[in-house]
Amino acid sequence: MGRYLSVPILVFATALSASILPQLVGFGVGLLGNVTPILNNTRGQFSLVMLLVLAWSIRSDLLSGFVWALVGGILLDLYSAIPIGTSSAALMIIVYAANGAAQQLYRMRIVTLLAMTLLATLFFQVYTYCALLLLGLSYDILMVIRIVFIPTIIYNLVGALPTYAIVRLIQRRLRVNASSSSPNLSLEADAGAS
Amino acid sequence: MRLNGRPNRFALLVTMLGLCGLLVVLAIAGVLSPVEAVVAAPLNSLSGAFNRLSVSFNQAVDELNNLGQLRERIAELEEQLARGQIELLQLREAASDYDRLVSLLSYTTTLENQEFLTADVIGVDQTGIVRNVIINRGTRDGVAIGMPVTTDLGLVGRISGVSANASQVQLITDENSAVSSRLQETRADGSIIGQASGVLRLTFVDLDEEIRQGDLVITSGLGGNFPPDIVVGQVTSVRQFEFELFQEAQVRSLIDFQTLELVLVITSFQPIDLSVFDQ
Repeated sequence: MGRYLSVPILVFATALSASILPQLVGFGVGLLGNVTPILNNTRGQFSLVMLLVLAWSIRSDLLSGFVWALVGGILLDLYSAIPIGTSSAALMIIVYAANGAAQQLYRMRIVTLLAMTLLATLFFQVYTYCALLLLGLSYDILMVIRIVFIPTIIYNLVGALPTYAIVRLIQRRLRVNASSSSPNLSLEADAGAS
Repeated sequence: MRLNGRPNRFALLVTMLGLCGLLVVLAIAGVLSPVEAVVAAPLNSLSGAFNRLSVSFNQAVDELNNLGQLRERIAELEEQLARGQIELLQLREAASDYDRLVSLLSYTTTLENQEFLTADVIGVDQTGIVRNVIINRGTRDGVAIGMPVTTDLGLVGRISGVSANASQVQLITDENSAVSSRLQETRADGSIIGQASGVLRLTFVDLDEEIRQGDLVITSGLGGNFPPDIVVGQVTSVRQFEFELFQEAQVRSLIDFQTLELVLVITSFQPIDLSVFDQ
């Protein structure tokens, strides 16, 4: 069921990412302009689809995670300058790494989740940049780091916990977290866990 | 298939990556275009609806935030309108003279003969790096790669990718965009190049040409990629060094690319392929 659910959830998320989210992020940055000058005049995006795929893969079986990665990647590529399948490959590597790491952990702590988000975002951004280079589209890397990579990492770190909580809620409802291979994952603050 | 063992997990990853590789090859070959149209249809509808919602929300918030500024702006615009009306009268006189001369020469300008297709902006590029927008018109509406896209305020970009019911527009602010342009007053030729910061750079202008702040930049039509005389923007600052071969200027488009809602695709314009002369 979780695999089929990927289609409506990710279609909804992609449509949000391409329309409302950039506006909301811009609005938020505008309000916090004095507090967060580093985000002014930047083009970072909150990678909702990538975060949903990452969050799903942490608490599901590998195949289900791959299905989410495939669907999410195809939808992202429909709305980008790179050919279909390119983002799916990156998301699959993220799913493989996140799912593997989650199996090694007894508990998923907030810091671990944020570290996974950071690494996944960094990997996905660099991968996309390289894909664009291969397509003959070159961009000033230092400028891209400043106005795309860093803001995107910040937005994703801020949005990681709510996204994970929503996905966890859906998975609980669907009772898909019964996979015997998954560890007993629970989101706990470091302080609480220790 | 047991997925817990490392070899099996890795084999599954390789298989899935192979599938992605196949998709990429098929997409580059154009085989997936019909499928893309079907898959993108619900996404485009949903995205379009969300975009209309967000644009309305943004406008409402902006209006509330900028009430004071808006009052000042109205006064400023009223003054500009009065000046514009005087100028319009003068230009009408000039235009009637021009029309007479044109009819004498049996000459018609290119822009008058253009056919336009209106399109809604339904999304932005998802990479964040590329400055593209998605519009809700595709091959079914006669849109083809290379067609120029404008608004009433000037040039937006050109069609860089097309499916049956949607197209990607590469904005002129994209770093890989270059538009042959000229200054309206002095007729000096140059090239408008997008920058990561979002402003436009007018470059390759001869050192002996004069560029002034406020000059309008229009397309030149050189290279055959865009029709001539479409407004690109206005010069905001000039950079000139004697040791450089060319002078540069920063140009600001009159269009706010963050809140693009409606655009016009010039469907009657066919880009000219000059690569045959490369030999």
